[in-house]
Amino acid sequence: MHAVQLSWNGISGWQGQGEIPDRAGLVLYFGGRAALADGRRYNELRDMFPHAHVVGCSTGGQIRNNDVSDDIAAIALNFAQTRLKLATAVASSAETSRACGESIGRVLAADDLAGIFVLSDGLNVNGSALVAGITATAGDSVPVTGGLAGDGAQFQETLVGGDFAPRKQTVAAIGFYGAAVRIGHGNAGGWDEFGPRRRITRASGNVLFELDGAPALDLYKRYLGDEAAGLPGTALLFPLRIYDPLRPERALVRTVLAVDHDNGSMTFAGDMPQGFVSQLMRGNFNRLAAGAAEAARQSVAAFAQPGDTDSVAILVSCIGRRLLMGQRTVEEVEAAGRALGTTMPALGFYSYGEISPHAASGLSQLHNQTMTVTTITESAR
Amino acid sequence: MHRLFARQRLQATGPDGTVDLDALARIITDAYEQTDRDHRRTERSIALMIDELDQLNRTLELQVAERTVALGKRETELREQNLRFDAALNNMSQALLMFDGMSRLVIHNKRYCEMYGLAPDDVGPGVVLQELLRKRLAVGTFSGDPDDYVANLRARIARGLSFNTDIDLPNGRTIEICNSPMPDGGWVATHEDITERRRAEKIIAHMAHYDSLTELPNRVLFQERLAQSLVDLGADRKLAVFYLDLDNFKAVNDTLGHQFGDELLKQVGQRLRGSAAESITVARVGGDEFAVIVPGIADLAEASALAQRICTVIGEPYDLFGHSVVTETSIGVAVAPDNGTLPDALIKNADMALYRAKADGRGTFRFFEAEMDAVIKARRALESALRDALLEGQFTLHYQPILKLDDNTMSCCEALIRWNHPVRGMVPPAEFIPVAEEIGLIVAIGEWVLRQACADAATWPDNIKVAVNLSPIQMLNAKLVPVVVGALAAAGLPASRLELEITESVLMQNTEQTVAALHQLRSLGVKISMDDFGTGFSSLSYLRRFPFDKLKIDRCFISDLSKDDDNGLAIVRSVTALASSLGMVTTAEGVETAEQMELVRMVGCTEAQGYYLGRPQPLKDVSRLLADSLPRQAKSA
Repeated sequence: MHAVQLSWNGISGWQGQGEIPDRAGLVLYFGGRAALADGRRYNELRDMFPHAHVVGCSTGGQIRNNDVSDDIAAIALNFAQTRLKLATAVASSAETSRACGESIGRVLAADDLAGIFVLSDGLNVNGSALVAGITATAGDSVPVTGGLAGDGAQFQETLVGGDFAPRKQTVAAIGFYGAAVRIGHGNAGGWDEFGPRRRITRASGNVLFELDGAPALDLYKRYLGDEAAGLPGTALLFPLRIYDPLRPERALVRTVLAVDHDNGSMTFAGDMPQGFVSQLMRGNFNRLAAGAAEAARQSVAAFAQPGDTDSVAILVSCIGRRLLMGQRTVEEVEAAGRALGTTMPALGFYSYGEISPHAASGLSQLHNQTMTVTTITESAR
Repeated sequence: MHRLFARQRLQATGPDGTVDLDALARIITDAYEQTDRDHRRTERSIALMIDELDQLNRTLELQVAERTVALGKRETELREQNLRFDAALNNMSQALLMFDGMSRLVIHNKRYCEMYGLAPDDVGPGVVLQELLRKRLAVGTFSGDPDDYVANLRARIARGLSFNTDIDLPNGRTIEICNSPMPDGGWVATHEDITERRRAEKIIAHMAHYDSLTELPNRVLFQERLAQSLVDLGADRKLAVFYLDLDNFKAVNDTLGHQFGDELLKQVGQRLRGSAAESITVARVGGDEFAVIVPGIADLAEASALAQRICTVIGEPYDLFGHSVVTETSIGVAVAPDNGTLPDALIKNADMALYRAKADGRGTFRFFEAEMDAVIKARRALESALRDALLEGQFTLHYQPILKLDDNTMSCCEALIRWNHPVRGMVPPAEFIPVAEEIGLIVAIGEWVLRQACADAATWPDNIKVAVNLSPIQMLNAKLVPVVVGALAAAGLPASRLELEITESVLMQNTEQTVAALHQLRSLGVKISMDDFGTGFSSLSYLRRFPFDKLKIDRCFISDLSKDDDNGLAIVRSVTALASSLGMVTTAEGVETAEQMELVRMVGCTEAQGYYLGRPQPLKDVSRLLADSLPRQAKSA
């Protein structure tokens, strides 16, 4: 497998490192909504890589090797033996997310399907339902990784493109086929729980109304103080860890996508099952960075070796982490990079939700406030 | 250089390598602000968290306090309930044990230790049943092998059904154990001391088969034994059934009281038992009735000898609380197979033989004979016919005139009952009156006679009385006086025209009640006569006990009377003199000749009655006779 990284900004245009492969099979690209919205960058990539599936999305910032940048980041992958298949779908609402996932899974399903990388609209989708739909039809042993597109701290519109210019309410998924390809994955948060545990006493799907019988939004406003003005973005500073009281080991972290001041509800990126226990979380820079490194280690542990040039790492980290860490966000990317080795190309973005198999259960699902690392390795061995 | 600052400087460095200090300052300021914000956030969230946790802590403390109180209350309740449970458990009359699936004791009560003489320390939770049994073995309240016992018990428990076992302890107590399996493989055992219950059951069983007074087998056991003896009877052997009763038991009971009667029965029972071998069953089958089974005899001589011995033994005097009493027994004997092979037939035949023995003079025994059956049947037929006779009006009254000897006029007619049976024809009173007395029909017959006689007499001239005989049985009837009054009233006959004739025997029984009734009747104006005077004890004390209006001298003094019979004449004369001195009139009965008529007149009798003066005759004949005599009486008047 051969990989070439590219970047784009308004001053320099496209810049690449190394020779551009004419038979690249897959191009992934990530950038701010404003930079992608007019479709010109997609068209330029389309022209550069006529044989490739060109798949990308809007984000809350790009990761490129050891750096965090607002420039568009792209990577072209040229596989020797691996077949690829693209599936795209319209995802208009949280209610239809599962059906959308099921249709993608059906398109991609095959005996030699080695993994699926998904990019999804970040605001109109129930990510949990989407992933559940994909695994229901593609098989739950197939690792599904990826993330929800972002919109910086605006939370207004997210774009996804899959062999077409990025647009809203879209899901694009790439299936990797064959015996040569190996998909590694890792996922970790590094957030610390704090304060009392609260029961989800009223919720519907991914909309949370009450914790311990009191409006959930009030709790957030109280903890945010004057930063409440920045809702829903600032709510990402306090993720919620939730778990089924009967299976506390399968805890998940949820992040807020939207709030409704009128009815006091908060919309999360995934399900908020009534009866689950929740606990607020807060971040410590060092531990968040350590979490990112842990995700990278998990990802390479199975198949790849640190510094493997046959591999590429795709990092999807939560926008909440970037909002919290500010200028020090780069420290988590550096930490992940150290775990991956300096020679393995790494590309990624800050998202509204991360998709990866759960470390404990192995079931692919939506995560929030985490760093996820997917390594794609093609080996002739 | 700090890594962060290095990056900041790199960001502020232009392509030409110069550092834009303003940009660097902006970046650094921005970083400081980010850090400040994070600090504020951290502090705020920690403060809020502390508040929340504090609030939560207070709520928890409150809840803990409330729960502690509730727990304390529940603990108290539980303790009370345990005390009640303990009290209930330890005050049970039964011993109770609960074992788990490993035969280990879980619960027990004190009663168990008491019941089996175990020390309280020997018994406690966790002790296995085998160990308990070994301890009981040591103190002598268990017999057997503990391991076998437990293995057997567990096998039955495993079947899942409750079961009861009775065990007899070496100390003589009987214990009933009920074992009920529990779902965990254990079981609950209750032990109840049923010694007293068993004893009571034995007593009840004894009472059902033995007479409590004499301790002899009762009728039930007698019949069972008889049935069994008949089954066991060898082909060449015989079996005798004795039925016997005491000849004057009723008199002892009536005159001396039940206490004496009971004592007599007891002693009779003892003598009977003592006079027969052990193999012979002696039973009390009724009030003063006893029965004897003599099984397996070779011939009748054996039975005769025993019957004779019993008659002799029973006939000897008894000492009843210082009173010497003599009674006799009559015995009826039936023999199997000659007189029947079934218990009922033998009993019936022995009873018939008893009847014959009594009829033959009491104090003796009789073997059953086939013709006895016929006699009894005839008797039963007679009884039945008598009952019909009253209902169907087969009785009539005949009247025999009584003459006054001073003027030879008729003064009275004696009513005599006649039974004209549609098939048998005329049945003599001597044949049916005793039967009517025995079966109690005499009361009803007597009432009919009184009513009929009064009604007939009412059609006669006013100076003619009617005499009616009263049976001793009638005299005992409490309704006698109302019946007499009723008969007089119904007929419209003055009481002074009715004479009631009683015999000595009437005064021999229940004297006080009888005398009172006679006084009552006499105070109404009814005349009372002593009938058949001279035949019985002729005790003059009877004459003292009641002021009779008339003595009727029995025919035996009159029928042989002649002018040469000085003794006879002297007796009659002295009787008439005695009566006269007591203010009584005298009637000579059985006057059959003119000479006798003259003689009785000569010795001072006031009235005479007999065939010479007129036979008993139907009402229409006597009515005509009275009508004929009227003018003559009128003339003589």
